Amino acid sequence: MDIVLGIKVQDSVIVATSKAATRGISILKDTDDKTRALNEHNLMAFTGEAGDTVQFAEYIQANIQLYGMRENFDLPPKAVNHFVRNQLASSIRSRKPYQVNVILAGYDEAKEEPSLSWIDYLGTKVDIPYAAHGYAGFYTFSLLDRHYRSDMSVDEGLKILKLCSEELNKRMPIDFKGLRVKIVDKSGIREIDVGL
Amino acid sequence: MSASSFAEGKATIASEYSSEVRREPIEHQFNPYSDNGGTILGIAGKDFAVLAGDTRHTTGYSINSRYEPKVFDAGDGFLISANGFSADGNALVKRFQNQLKWYHFNHGKKMGIRSGARFIQHLLYGKRFFPYYVHTIIAGLDEEGKGAVFSFDPIGSYEREQCRAGGSAASLIMPFLDNQVNFKNQLDPESNGTKKKELRYLSLEEVLKLVKDSFSSATERHILVGDGLEIMIVTKEGVRTEYYPLKKD
Amino acid sequence: MSDPSSINGGSAVAMMGKDCVAIACDLRLGSQSLGLANNFEKIFNFGHVFLGLAGLATDVTTLSEIFRMKTNLYKMKEERLIEPESFANLVSSTLYERRFGPYFVSPIVAGINSKTDKPFICGFDLIGCIDYAKDFIVAGTSSDQLFGMCESLYEPNLEPEDLFETISQALLSATDRDALSGWGAVVYIITKDKVLFLIYFF
Repeated sequence: MDIVLGIKVQDSVIVATSKAATRGISILKDTDDKTRALNEHNLMAFTGEAGDTVQFAEYIQANIQLYGMRENFDLPPKAVNHFVRNQLASSIRSRKPYQVNVILAGYDEAKEEPSLSWIDYLGTKVDIPYAAHGYAGFYTFSLLDRHYRSDMSVDEGLKILKLCSEELNKRMPIDFKGLRVKIVDKSGIREIDVGL
Repeated sequence: MSASSFAEGKATIASEYSSEVRREPIEHQFNPYSDNGGTILGIAGKDFAVLAGDTRHTTGYSINSRYEPKVFDAGDGFLISANGFSADGNALVKRFQNQLKWYHFNHGKKMGIRSGARFIQHLLYGKRFFPYYVHTIIAGLDEEGKGAVFSFDPIGSYEREQCRAGGSAASLIMPFLDNQVNFKNQLDPESNGTKKKELRYLSLEEVLKLVKDSFSSATERHILVGDGLEIMIVTKEGVRTEYYPLKKD
Repeated sequence: MSDPSSINGGSAVAMMGKDCVAIACDLRLGSQSLGLANNFEKIFNFGHVFLGLAGLATDVTTLSEIFRMKTNLYKMKEERLIEPESFANLVSSTLYERRFGPYFVSPIVAGINSKTDKPFICGFDLIGCIDYAKDFIVAGTSSDQLFGMCESLYEPNLEPEDLFETISQALLSATDRDALSGWGAVVYIITKDKVLFLIYFF
């Protein structure tokens, strides 16, 4: 029931993840952060099997950072996306696959363009203008289909995110304790408080 | 065989090898359905309708008959075919024909195609929890003399359509019909790709050509379709039947 | 439902014409009933050879990358591009390597041999059994519908323009009767002078 959303706008990507950490019938935490910064300009949001998610995210984070240190060059989004896909695609045919779905938000400094990639635990990768994992897509894709434009500003993007948030709050059967919203653009990754 | 095996609710199998008495319980499961293959196709025209079906009858990979008709003239200008499990199909057709006779006794008039369709819905839904395992299509002329085709799911949902394929090779034939009867995905060549090709009634010759092409294509690619094609044509003059051989392999 | 080859949906088709071949695919990628993307191409080219991959999307991507690597290595060793016939055997042996843990794909290959100018198409099952064909090859979740369309619309020795019309109508009408396929299409027409048209529908 975790919510992971990504919206790519003119020159940045908006990422929203639910703040509830749920185990069985209990909400253990209402300040959970389901994202990890891989480097300056790449953010990974994740959902899936408890335990696998953070383990996988931090493994990826460590490797991307290691690469940055060794080569003194941060991997651009396209390379990060393919690296993550490759890890998941190998994992699915291993003895115990990671059950983790991710959304990768990045900003390519060389090309000066934002990047949004949807990758599931099988290693299915698609680059799309807006992405969601789990049930969130069923509620939000119709709104995004209707209102999305590729040349939107961050503020316009956040307006659609607000519509999505309202719909999710209305229709989701359990309280997901609001959304944590992060922006990835040319100046890096930052969290913003938009009261969602 | 010990008495205790009965007490435990376990049946045994007697065999010529007396030492090999099985102790597992024997399951008795009767499967009331089977699939007899075949495919059917109905197309409505301006003042005619056709209902066609192949004449191969199968169970599994065995061909039981190369000529077992499954399209019937039910009377009152109704063509009917119920494709799928042939025992159910025949039972449905027989029930319909019989009830049609009673309709004549009781009301002394022909049954309209729309009444016939609604009646078939009731026959099918009447067995909602033990359905006739068939895809049913009827064809005839409506009260204005226009061609009509009605198609039904196994429990009686139905719809009037211009054309419909049913049975084993329906998935092969149906997109072809969308394309060639309802001109789906086709554009008006004069419009430079701005306008859809306009709908028009097909002539009987055109329809028969499509039916024959549909069945020869389905025969080529589907193992349960073949042997013969029986086409029934209904016009205001009445019903007539045409037969064409299909590949027997 | 959990059949790997129909989780994501998608279809591809190839046809042989007179001194030309055509290959086409849809653009949908879904997760069961939910449509996710309408830009997921299933046709990849390695020089003048075209490969269509319908099936499980992760394997489609993995295989397209494997064949990119293998054809690049081939190009360096042989100092020429791979021909369709050789590529078909490369696909076959690559898939059979995974005989007991297969990639869940239905590949199709189309191209014109640059030495002999002979058009070539073929298809495979998921473990690499080659199906050579003189007419057409279909693959994917709408393969039944494509068989029906191709078997009735196709005729031999079509010119490129007519082959384009035939393959387009076949793919479009077939995918319209399959909930897991559609959402746009790509058609490639390949002639011997390496002219190739690429057309998108939406």
